[in-house]
Amino acid sequence: MDLLKEMIDLIIGRKEFFLNLLWEHFYISFSSIVIASVIGITLGIVISEYRGSSKIILGVINFIYTIPSIALLGILIPFSGIGNVTAMIALSIYALLPMVRNTFTGITNVDERVIEAARGMGSTRFQILYKIKIPIALPVIMSGFRNMVTMTIALAGIASFIGAGGLGTAIYRGITTNNTAMTLTGSLMIAILALVVDGMLGFFEKMSGRRNRKKRKVRIILCGGMIALLIIGIAGNMIRSNQNSEKIVRIATKPVTEQYIIGEILKEIIEQDTDITVELTQGIGGGTSNIMPGMQSGEFDMYPEYTCTGWNLVLGHTGVYDESMYSKLRKEYEESYDFTWKGQMGFSNAYALAVSKEVAEKYGLKTCSDLQKVSGQLVFGAEYDFFERPDGYGKMCEIYGFTFKNVRDVDIGLKYQAVNEGKIDVMDVFTTDGQLSKAQVVILEDDKGYFSSAKEGIVIRREVLQKYPELETVFKKLENTVDNEAMAEMNYQVEEGKKDTKDVAHTFLLEKGLLKGAEE
Amino acid sequence: MEPIIKYQDVKKVYGEKTIVEHFNLSIEKGEFLTIIGSSGSGKTTILKMVNGLIIPDEGTVFVEGKDILKEDLIQLRRNIGYAIQGSVLFPNMTVEKNIAYVPNLLNDKKEKTNQAVQKWIRIAGLEEELLNRYPDELSGGQQQRVGIARALAASPEILLMDEPFGAVDEITRGELQREIKRIHEETNITILFVTHDINEAMTLGSKVLVMNAGAIDQYGTPEEIMSLPKTDFVRKLVANSRK
Ligand SMILES: Nc1ncnc2c1ncn2[C@@H]1O[C@H](COP(=O)(O)OP(=O)(O)O)[C@@H](O)[C@H]1O
Ligand SMILES: [Mg+2]
Repeated sequence: MDLLKEMIDLIIGRKEFFLNLLWEHFYISFSSIVIASVIGITLGIVISEYRGSSKIILGVINFIYTIPSIALLGILIPFSGIGNVTAMIALSIYALLPMVRNTFTGITNVDERVIEAARGMGSTRFQILYKIKIPIALPVIMSGFRNMVTMTIALAGIASFIGAGGLGTAIYRGITTNNTAMTLTGSLMIAILALVVDGMLGFFEKMSGRRNRKKRKVRIILCGGMIALLIIGIAGNMIRSNQNSEKIVRIATKPVTEQYIIGEILKEIIEQDTDITVELTQGIGGGTSNIMPGMQSGEFDMYPEYTCTGWNLVLGHTGVYDESMYSKLRKEYEESYDFTWKGQMGFSNAYALAVSKEVAEKYGLKTCSDLQKVSGQLVFGAEYDFFERPDGYGKMCEIYGFTFKNVRDVDIGLKYQAVNEGKIDVMDVFTTDGQLSKAQVVILEDDKGYFSSAKEGIVIRREVLQKYPELETVFKKLENTVDNEAMAEMNYQVEEGKKDTKDVAHTFLLEKGLLKGAEE
Repeated sequence: MEPIIKYQDVKKVYGEKTIVEHFNLSIEKGEFLTIIGSSGSGKTTILKMVNGLIIPDEGTVFVEGKDILKEDLIQLRRNIGYAIQGSVLFPNMTVEKNIAYVPNLLNDKKEKTNQAVQKWIRIAGLEEELLNRYPDELSGGQQQRVGIARALAASPEILLMDEPFGAVDEITRGELQREIKRIHEETNITILFVTHDINEAMTLGSKVLVMNAGAIDQYGTPEEIMSLPKTDFVRKLVANSRK
């Protein structure tokens, strides 16, 4: 019941946000549906007229259909980038199969004798097709269409994974910022949208059914409605993209809470201090690996990144990164990508080891080396990933000489609880984890420098910086304004306090005196 | 007078199986030719050669003196009425649209088409309120009548009918037979009428063609067939008709 109330509050409080997502969802699905219908029906007709090709075409389409959606998006991103276009292509591809198959089945199942009657009376091949075959196949095509529409609306939920809009954004953001009410609201709205559209289609199908003598009228209304929707859609989108036709920078963020907050901070302060409009694409699935291609193709101008990720993942170095290498990191970015690093806010989202306060006091633990002496009496817990990665558990034990009494796999969301309940004594954490700010734990100093430093900074295309030098001043203002504790606290407010990322960002800027109104 | 339809040494083979061979036949204008024979004897095959739905492997079919393969088949078919075996109607169209099908292919003058529809539903003995019904809302007899009206709607010179009164009861069958006979007398159309019912063949035909295993057993007026059956097969048929 609490959840229900939370959801209602969420919808009322963020009406604009959800309406916007609903609109985007509708737009993405509707475009995909139109594309898939046109191509799918055409293909279905072609292969039913030229049966020889049907096996190959249906085989290929069936095969594509079995590619998992996430994989298909991954395949498409290098070609069509991040965002709505890729989402629409992927959705259209999936929607193709039901359309092609039903059109093909519908047409090939038309009684041979009916076709022969039409032929014997002097119909051309084309006349047989549009006067006989297609009308008779229509109910089958329509049922495929209805399935496809429901499926596409549901599947459009994954569009947000690659930075497209739509209600999936709410689901995805809810998951990454630990906001169940938001996830549920997004899911529920998708389900309702699918049901309503399917219901409407069912109604129109019934109205235009051949038993209805007024079907001409219904057909005209239906066609008119579709065309109107299409025009509204196109016009709406044109207006929306026209709004920001002047100076624009496009910022992407990864799907983690603090990046959502940083994104909002950047947007607000850039738009306040300059006449640049910020287009913010939050929480791109796959993070760096999907944002970097977007940066290279110029779809995005900047995004918040962590130094060690840049060093290891982007530049491909192995080994530990520490901040003495920052200038080298920057130089290599400039040489390889013509991107640079700017505006480090000061916090580092790195791995660290933490123990409960109790344990820390009992054994007098301050550093990881202290931990080594007593590790034989302690239980270590971490999420699966930490045990698997090459710079994770195994190497760590080697360097520090840990010999834990026991080791446990713990779900990332339940780690803090496990420490509180004494089920585990030591765990890995990220230094800006929202829960750190309230949990009764102590972070042990990494005295042997095992964990790479992961300072946040803005990766920006140099071309953009040259075009808008005023951004330099903005970045300067943000430098060293947030330490680990402050970032953890803001994360906490979003993840546990259920505050809107925008509000948290605004409060932060206000408190730092960075807003114009606050200066006076 | 030149025959309206002429088969010249026609042969049709499916794979290894020869269906008809050395088939020669001339049909005069205005004839009501009934074609009778056992099932699989090639009646449908012969009929469909007239409108080019089946093309002979050898030999030529002439319609009004012209080799049909040298003509535009689409145009030819529009001018030959065709009532397919089982008189299959278009299930997606109303009775009116079904009947107007060929007139609509030929021209798009609404008024002319409407007149044709009105004329032919009357001749085929259909009530006007059926016009807006769909085929599956009709009785078997009504469907057959619509099939006839549809085949005749463009006032063709030739009408091909393949067992058109197959699936109806005796009473309706009798009515339909009288109807088609009347139509033939009124319009002087040439009719090729396939049936497996010897009584029907005898009553309707001005000429009867008896087919047996892809060949002509006998071709003549009903009286000739009746009084001078040429083969055992014809004799058996005729004997059956007297019962
Ligand atoms: N498309 C076809 N392929 C192979 N055999 C066929 C085909 N159409 C008809 N036949 C064969 O040709 C013979 C004559 O068929 P048909 O003219 O339909 O006979 P019917 O006198 O019963 O109308 C039959 O034995 C039939 O099986
Ligand atoms: Mg037959």
